[in-house]
Amino acid sequence: MSLRLVRIDDRLIHGQVVAGWLRALGAQRIVIVDDAAARDEFLREVLTLAAPSGVPVEVLDLVGGAARCIDLAASREPVIVLARSPRTVLALRQAGVPIEVVDLGGLGAGPGRRRLHRTISVSADELAELRELEQLGTRVEIRIVADDRPIALRSLDPAR
Amino acid sequence: MRKFRIVLAGHGTLPAALLATTELICGPVADAAAVGLEPTESPDHYTESLRDAIGHDGRRVLVLCDLLGGTPFNVASAIARRSPRVVCISGASLAIALEAALADGDLDDALVERLLEVGRSGIVETERHRARRAS
Repeated sequence: MSLRLVRIDDRLIHGQVVAGWLRALGAQRIVIVDDAAARDEFLREVLTLAAPSGVPVEVLDLVGGAARCIDLAASREPVIVLARSPRTVLALRQAGVPIEVVDLGGLGAGPGRRRLHRTISVSADELAELRELEQLGTRVEIRIVADDRPIALRSLDPAR
Repeated sequence: MRKFRIVLAGHGTLPAALLATTELICGPVADAAAVGLEPTESPDHYTESLRDAIGHDGRRVLVLCDLLGGTPFNVASAIARRSPRVVCISGASLAIALEAALADGDLDDALVERLLEVGRSGIVETERHRARRAS
């Protein structure tokens, strides 16, 4: 079994995630893979506060997160996995986490970042990492809220 | 007289509308601000806007947020965890905003408990509410 969906969102937990995605996935658990957050007790606490009661939040570093995601994929428990950047998800995939779909949910604009769609912008490095994920057999889609029709990265990718 | 500032925090135009509607009912609300999160706004930018609205004068501030787990709440609760003069409540409603606007005195534990109770007790379904009132 694979993880159904890993969401890349630089805001991690926020309104679209708690109000839409948890329900859409039937998920009762949030797993955040983020080295910086895992090291920062304050950030971990704020992220935990953001989830509805009854939904545990696990904040793990890359190594712990990969092991946990492999277990969760095998267990078939519906779960939402959040990461801040394509790099983290690529690292999870390379560590052997089976991921069916990567959802681009929020990647902010900024200098050196190309806008792909509405609130989704990527740097050249991030685009390369997303393409690598596709080559590893993971679909990469933009789907900001669960009700959106997914847009395949391939259909927007300027190099194709 | 109320001795604390009120900041309404939420998504889009909701905070501004909540403040305007509160004033519609109880008249001008002094020392209050509304900070709405725009769809394309980054959490960092919103943090700055919220910090400005909270102010840097050391006074106590009540931040009323619209959605548990939303960015406005996440940002406000991060500020509140670091700054004991800031109290952050989620699930803001007109009832809570009115109670806060009309509050007298300090933002103390008793007031925070009262605001939470006003919010909870204002959520009813007519039939169930009627049955409970009748019994």
